[in-house]
Amino acid sequence: MIHSFIALLPDKCTSCMLCVRECPAWCIHLDSHTEEVTDAGARRPKKINVLDSFDIDYSLCMYCGICVDVCPFDALEWDQHRALISDSRADLTLGITQLTSENDSAN
Amino acid sequence: MTRYQLAEHPTIEVEVITAGLACCTLEVEAAATAGLLLPVSGEQISPAPSILVISGTVTDALLPAVLAQIDRFPEARLMSFGACATSGGPYWDSPPVTKGIDQFADVAVYVAGCPPRPDAFVAALLDLAHSGVAP
Amino acid sequence: MTAVMAMESVPVDTWHERVHQVKQRGFGFFDFLTAVDRNSFVEVVVHLVREDLSDSYLISTMLSNENLHIDSIETLFPGAGWHEREVGEMFGVKFEGNDMQKLLRHETLGLPPLRKNIVLSARVVTEWPGAAEPEIKQDGRKVGNPSRRRQRPPGAPESWLQQ
Ligand code: SF4
Ligand code: SF4
Repeated sequence: MIHSFIALLPDKCTSCMLCVRECPAWCIHLDSHTEEVTDAGARRPKKINVLDSFDIDYSLCMYCGICVDVCPFDALEWDQHRALISDSRADLTLGITQLTSENDSAN
Repeated sequence: MTRYQLAEHPTIEVEVITAGLACCTLEVEAAATAGLLLPVSGEQISPAPSILVISGTVTDALLPAVLAQIDRFPEARLMSFGACATSGGPYWDSPPVTKGIDQFADVAVYVAGCPPRPDAFVAALLDLAHSGVAP
Repeated sequence: MTAVMAMESVPVDTWHERVHQVKQRGFGFFDFLTAVDRNSFVEVVVHLVREDLSDSYLISTMLSNENLHIDSIETLFPGAGWHEREVGEMFGVKFEGNDMQKLLRHETLGLPPLRKNIVLSARVVTEWPGAAEPEIKQDGRKVGNPSRRRQRPPGAPESWLQQ
């Protein structure tokens, strides 16, 4: 396996914060909020976490794969299609769109 | 010193002086082994490098030596190769490690990775070449 | 590797003598010397092995933080000198009789880094992203935070964060 990139599958992510807390480089930032939804036929509404932002700072990430390992929902996965290069360090921080869309196009 | 040409772009030649700071430096050899860089024989062509690759962990103790090299070649543009050179990387919390060479010198291109893949090294060289600096 | 391991803690002033006796009893192979920070004292440990590897012996001694001095055993085991220099650099222990040349660290660097009282300032000044909690919002309105145990960043004891 070539390890070059960690991709996010945002539909699977429950904002449980496990990856954020386990990351040894402290390079994942996540923001989320809770909403109540009522399923059809359910008597009471349930609370779900909604992901607002998910950033990985690749200028700091050490590609240890701990985030991929700890995610209980398999929302993070190795992806091998990119080499991240930029003339600005800030560009190396990728948000939800960049972490997912390129993943789609690569597969 | 070894001279290579890029397999994809034979007009671009690189001369590599190995003065590695840490493990990232090995990726240059990895690129050569993988066939991305092809060794060429012949005379030395560049009197001064146009790109300096900072590859590896810069410690505060070593920083003056690194900066002295950067000062020697004011025309050269810097490639910050790998997480350590860019931000301290895995050593972000370690007191003796410099957290990013860009605090002290202008960086032309950052390459993410720990270490970045050899093809990222080649891609970054091409990136610099296309933005006007032929290595 | 070895079947049996004897352990013994000795007073610091008998350290050299005891290591010498144990060596004489056939534990002639020096395995390692290291130290453990026990907060109020530093424990120095040496592991000696019988040459046929059938048996080994662990000798330790405690040094108070106020007096981190101990006799070098370099004369008994020349290989121990290197380990002593490392313990000196990392824990601040002075081995009498060893030249204590620096191995790895720059001489201008401050306190020995493996002592537990060394604060990794980067872990204190950097905001830990894991402290964030999902907020409860109803109709887009924030109504409060879920009451969970306050999360502390890994590798940053409570005492650091208070400083
Ligand atoms: S690979 Fe490791 S360093 Fe990178 S985001 Fe995941 S946990 Fe953090
Ligand atoms: S561990 Fe997985 S589910 Fe939890 S926040 Fe991270 S990516 Fe989302």
